[in-house]
Amino acid sequence: MLWLNLLINGLVWGCALGMVAVSFSLIFATTRFFHVAHAAVYGLGGYVSWSALKHGLPEWAALLVGIVVCGLAGAAIQKLLYERLDRRGATHLVILIASLGLSAVMQNGIAAIYTSNVLQYGLPWGNRTTIIGGALLTNTQMLTVVFGILSYLGAMWFAHRTVLGKRMRAVASNPFLAEITRLQPRQVHIAVMAIGSALVCIPGVLVPLDLGLQPFGGVPILLTATIAVIAGGVGSISGAFVLALVIAVLQNLSLLVMPGEWSIGITFGIFVIFMLFRPRGLFTG
Amino acid sequence: MLRISTIALALALAVPASAQTIKLGAVLPLTGPAAVIGMQEQRGIQFAVDEVNAKGGVAGHKIEMLFEDNQAKPDQSVLLFNKLVDLQKVPAVFTGYSGPSLAMAPLAGRKKTLLVNGGAQADALDKASPYLINTIPVLAGELEVLANYLVADAGKKTAAILFENNAAGIAGRDDFLASFEKAGGKVLAQEPVPFGDTNYRPALLKLAATSPDVVFVVITSGTPQLADQVRQIDAKFTVVGSTFFSDPELIANPNAEGFTHTQVLINAPEGMAAAFKAKYGTEFDFFPKQYYNAATVVMTCVEKLLKDGKPVTGENLLAALKEIKTFKGLTTTVFNTNTAATQINMNRINGKQDNLLKVIAPK
Repeated sequence: MLWLNLLINGLVWGCALGMVAVSFSLIFATTRFFHVAHAAVYGLGGYVSWSALKHGLPEWAALLVGIVVCGLAGAAIQKLLYERLDRRGATHLVILIASLGLSAVMQNGIAAIYTSNVLQYGLPWGNRTTIIGGALLTNTQMLTVVFGILSYLGAMWFAHRTVLGKRMRAVASNPFLAEITRLQPRQVHIAVMAIGSALVCIPGVLVPLDLGLQPFGGVPILLTATIAVIAGGVGSISGAFVLALVIAVLQNLSLLVMPGEWSIGITFGIFVIFMLFRPRGLFTG
Repeated sequence: MLRISTIALALALAVPASAQTIKLGAVLPLTGPAAVIGMQEQRGIQFAVDEVNAKGGVAGHKIEMLFEDNQAKPDQSVLLFNKLVDLQKVPAVFTGYSGPSLAMAPLAGRKKTLLVNGGAQADALDKASPYLINTIPVLAGELEVLANYLVADAGKKTAAILFENNAAGIAGRDDFLASFEKAGGKVLAQEPVPFGDTNYRPALLKLAATSPDVVFVVITSGTPQLADQVRQIDAKFTVVGSTFFSDPELIANPNAEGFTHTQVLINAPEGMAAAFKAKYGTEFDFFPKQYYNAATVVMTCVEKLLKDGKPVTGENLLAALKEIKTFKGLTTTVFNTNTAATQINMNRINGKQDNLLKVIAPK
């Protein structure tokens, strides 16, 4: 039953990756800024929640504190950094470099405060296992699946059913038109950065709950999530989430036929070929 | 003006030689994923240097450490090594991690600077440069002990390998494979994990499917997470490893019950361990001890040169090391070659304790 265990493991990892991809997709589609510091916000959420937990807060409250702090951090990054650069006519490349710099500052700041040691939440219930359909799953893995699906559905509801979500899609679709029709794109950008950053806190806590906290842990997961966002079609929440699941499952199942050192290369090789035939992504017309 | 200059010159010449500070360099990962160990290594060196300086220095000369952060990156290490040697004129540079050490080794030979590795164990370090000395045995010696114990003493005939995909991990895989098959065992499968990645589950699932007696693990960090994931997949095999398992967090993890490993022996007196903890707020663990020992070796060589009235250069330090040969630091360190020989133990983690199974004396 190796294939089943790998498949389920892939789906679980895909849900975590999917949450990062959906949050990044919301931000990237609306602002068009390549927000690399999203990886650092992901890390920030994990460490803030860890601190809250160590200060005696219950698990749900610690997660909530992390979500609020990440949301505020996202809004602050947009207002104080990206918006200022944008107003001064900075190109997207300049903003990308600023984002890279901010990411390095935040991650090294976290490492300086918390050390670079792999920290553990130390919640024994997280490691308890249950057999589901012949595969062993930990409580943390089950929570990841639940939160992953809820995050995806929540993001879809937000984008399609709320006023802010519709404004976000309008700004993403045509920023110039949004400006002259008084949709106030800059305010929308701040709101979307806050929401995307709050959302990324959830995998920022759940993944380290399973695998341990590391200051630089957000970088590889953001890199893979970015590929899911682009291959899924920029602006498509469903595309980002589904492609995240596909990438994670492919990475896991590829172990059945090849050694692990080839799995990432082959998986992304497939996507390079796919992009050649569908450069605008899977979920765009 | 001339009088002032003359007085200043006279004062400078009047300063005794004992006031001259000797600078030593270190290129270690102080940020990034490898900083967990890099910072421990830094503290070990600084602790030894502070101890010597507090007693008046080495033959009256204070030692000053210049630390540079390479983030465990080989390319960065080369730049920093050049900076320390060319600008600061240090005669010796401490290093850690196999990749960076191997990158700096040719430069050490070219610039005749002593490169001192106290923590990395890739076999290639053994003969990488005449100027690279390893104060810890390379992995091959340790894994030969492990393989012989597993096959001959524990009756384990089949193994799988989980290795970190870098210089240290690949060297560990190759050494274990060779030693285990030479001892009469059979390696059924092997899987790599990227450095810094703590998601071992897919690789463990694949290895477990081959039903080995043991899984040999060679990773430099994330061992507590490994223990959790081994338990979560309900593994039937025994996890075995090397000195990397001497992580206090791993030993305290109930999921690490039964993990068996080799241990390069290094002990510190209780008072010293307490002083270290009081100073840094962390335990005097394996890596600080190893680098304390490495610093002691270098400072012993410096002392010999100063007493002999020779200049403290990389070339002279190497000559002094070969002449002294046996160093009584935290452990007896014997340099028959550029790599030290020390005692190796077989340990098993039981009841949150690292228990001794067998002692293997140095060859």
